[in-house]
Amino acid sequence: MSKFIGVIACNYRTDLLQSMITSRPIAALPFGGRYRLLDFPLSGMVNSGLRTVGIITPYRYRPILDHLGAGKEWYLDRKVGGLFILPGSRQGKYSRNNKFALRDFVKNIEFLERDRADYVIISGCSNIFNLNYNEVMAKFGDKNSDLIMIYKELCLEEKEDCQGVVLQVDENQMVVKLESSLGREKQIVKFFADTFIVKRKLLLDILKNYEGIEEMDLLDILEENIEMFRIAAYPLSGYFGRITSIRSYYLRSMDMLNHSVRNELFMKTNRIHTKIKDNPPTKYGTQCSIRNSLISSGCTIQGNVRDSIVFRGVRIEAGASVTKSIIMQKCVIGEEAVLENVIIDKYGQVNTGAVINGQDHSPVVINKYMVL
Amino acid sequence: MSGRECIAMLLAGGQGSRLGCLTRNIAKPAVSFGGKYRIIDFSLSNCVNSNIDTVGVLTQYKPFLLNSYIGIGSAWDLDNSQGGVHILPPFVGEQGGRWYKGTANAIYQNIDFISYYNPKYVLIISGDHIYKMNYTQMLRYHQEKKAEVTISVLPVPQEEASRFGIITTDEDSRITKFTEKPVHPDSNLASMGIYLFNWPVLKKALIKDEVDSESDNDFGKNIIPMLLQEHKKLYSYSFEGYWKDVGTIESYYDANMDLLSAQPEFDLFDTTTRVFSNSDILPPQYIGEKARVKNSLISNGCTILGEVINSILAPGVYVGEGAIVHNSLLLPNSTVSCESWVRKAIIGEHSVIGAYCSIGIKIGTNPRQAGITVIEDNTLIEEDTLVEEGKNVYRGSVA
Repeated sequence: MSKFIGVIACNYRTDLLQSMITSRPIAALPFGGRYRLLDFPLSGMVNSGLRTVGIITPYRYRPILDHLGAGKEWYLDRKVGGLFILPGSRQGKYSRNNKFALRDFVKNIEFLERDRADYVIISGCSNIFNLNYNEVMAKFGDKNSDLIMIYKELCLEEKEDCQGVVLQVDENQMVVKLESSLGREKQIVKFFADTFIVKRKLLLDILKNYEGIEEMDLLDILEENIEMFRIAAYPLSGYFGRITSIRSYYLRSMDMLNHSVRNELFMKTNRIHTKIKDNPPTKYGTQCSIRNSLISSGCTIQGNVRDSIVFRGVRIEAGASVTKSIIMQKCVIGEEAVLENVIIDKYGQVNTGAVINGQDHSPVVINKYMVL
Repeated sequence: MSGRECIAMLLAGGQGSRLGCLTRNIAKPAVSFGGKYRIIDFSLSNCVNSNIDTVGVLTQYKPFLLNSYIGIGSAWDLDNSQGGVHILPPFVGEQGGRWYKGTANAIYQNIDFISYYNPKYVLIISGDHIYKMNYTQMLRYHQEKKAEVTISVLPVPQEEASRFGIITTDEDSRITKFTEKPVHPDSNLASMGIYLFNWPVLKKALIKDEVDSESDNDFGKNIIPMLLQEHKKLYSYSFEGYWKDVGTIESYYDANMDLLSAQPEFDLFDTTTRVFSNSDILPPQYIGEKARVKNSLISNGCTILGEVINSILAPGVYVGEGAIVHNSLLLPNSTVSCESWVRKAIIGEHSVIGAYCSIGIKIGTNPRQAGITVIEDNTLIEEDTLVEEGKNVYRGSVA
């Protein structure tokens, strides 16, 4: 039995993803040609040997269940342990950057009580990285820390879409303070990756002590009581991508065209698992031209594709031209259509000869099922 | 055990020696096909799409990859608690054990398995044909005709008829004659190696055939002629659609290439009858900045930096910068390094073609096996190597 169980918190939103998350939770956002954002934290856990993972679901969780099923692709269809759906509480339309709402954990406390694992790995669902938690434990397991927070050292952009949590760390790699990223633009910071490992018993104690005050977030509690806990900080060395807005979704997607990023995330021993669709291979026509693009299975491509990401089962007809765009599952791009800097959500249809142009780094988003 | 209507017995034990280096290390049904598939996927998917949920897979020759590929059958939804897929290798009993001698003997040795499920009908199929077929329709036909055996047939060109088991019928489709590979065929209806038996008839025939020491214990050669002699009711069921026996390098290559035609007769994209397979976890394929891809089928996890034309690439294939791949089949996880040139070749699984190689160089006018060059799996072709067309390159041999 694993020393760990996992919880993935999916009950939060970010307004800057606009129409891409009106019909789906952020965890179910399609990414990288065949994945959904949830695949990244979930695969990190199962690749680390976890076979008991709970998913705290948001209000509209049909797409999550559709994707996960019984958890077969993640080896989570177990007799012992397995995949647990932990219903989240209904939140207001706009949550206040509140990812680890206490009440979501309190409501599902039985999940935490029943297992005998030593640690709980808690993760958000909107960051892209590939981490084996055994590496974290190899470094910190013997240090007798109560918690380990995972961070990425990065330089905040001039204009950040969204605020996050920044760690202040002492010389022993112990966290001394949690701060907001606001006001630190263009600085190099230790950015909290929305992922931490906590002793299960300690987590249960916290939940019981705070039972009445459920509006709080787990991070608020850590912040308030920072002296009481021994919190170690673990730096991520590999790729780290945050999805907080349409812009960051677009840019992080385009990162996948980079060979070393792709190799690190998808081609090594710790692979990212996702739902299998049994599509045929992709068929390329006699007149197509493809450059620097990521193309998924089951597509039929007769036209031109450049610097783009194409999801499963897309059809791009002759003479169509797709540049710097993201075309989601089962879209059809008609003959001679011209797309540049566009994100087309699932089942979109672009008619013959249509021209859609977004701006550089500010793509136009075409909603699910739209016909243009 | 309550009786089942129909179970399938899938013959997957043959070596397929005519596929040369492709089957030196793996059984024929496990050979990669059409990019992401293995040959057995088509028969297994047909079973699932025909609601046959109990399939016995008879294995014998180098079954490791085949066994691990089938696993418990979950890729085909055959992981049932009742029924599902069963791998049936030869085994020993009180009287010792024996290898499977022929197709009929293989089924004979598994009479206990079939009896356990006690079906009304037993479907015998083989794991090395490329086709989509709904066996339910054949079963309904079998019931309508009140047949004891039904054999699926399709017309073949007269000049090729002597390669097949040829069936002659009366006007009611009742089989009057069955000749295995006749020199002078009097019909062009070929048996597809798909037999539907009433279980009691099959059981009796198998037992009778087993005691005949002269028999080769083969369905085509022995069982069917014997039943005809006994005046059993054998009917032919006409199959319409694409069917290919991929028994030789040429037919294997051609069947793959058929998928690349503009309107392929065998359509992998047809969603009404899907072909399931057990796939690896791989990211989408990446087509590079200087790549050129035309008329090809490419699978997950491929990285294409060079030129790929009229070719089929299985999962995890790498084609380096400046490499040129024409009219070729690159099997799973093979690599063509930069500036290499591959023409009309089959590159085995996990094989690596070093840089600056030329595979399939033209020689003279009459190359072997239609000029198809085959590189065995797990073979490293050193840099700067030239391989003539029509050659079979085995691992360890100097190219």
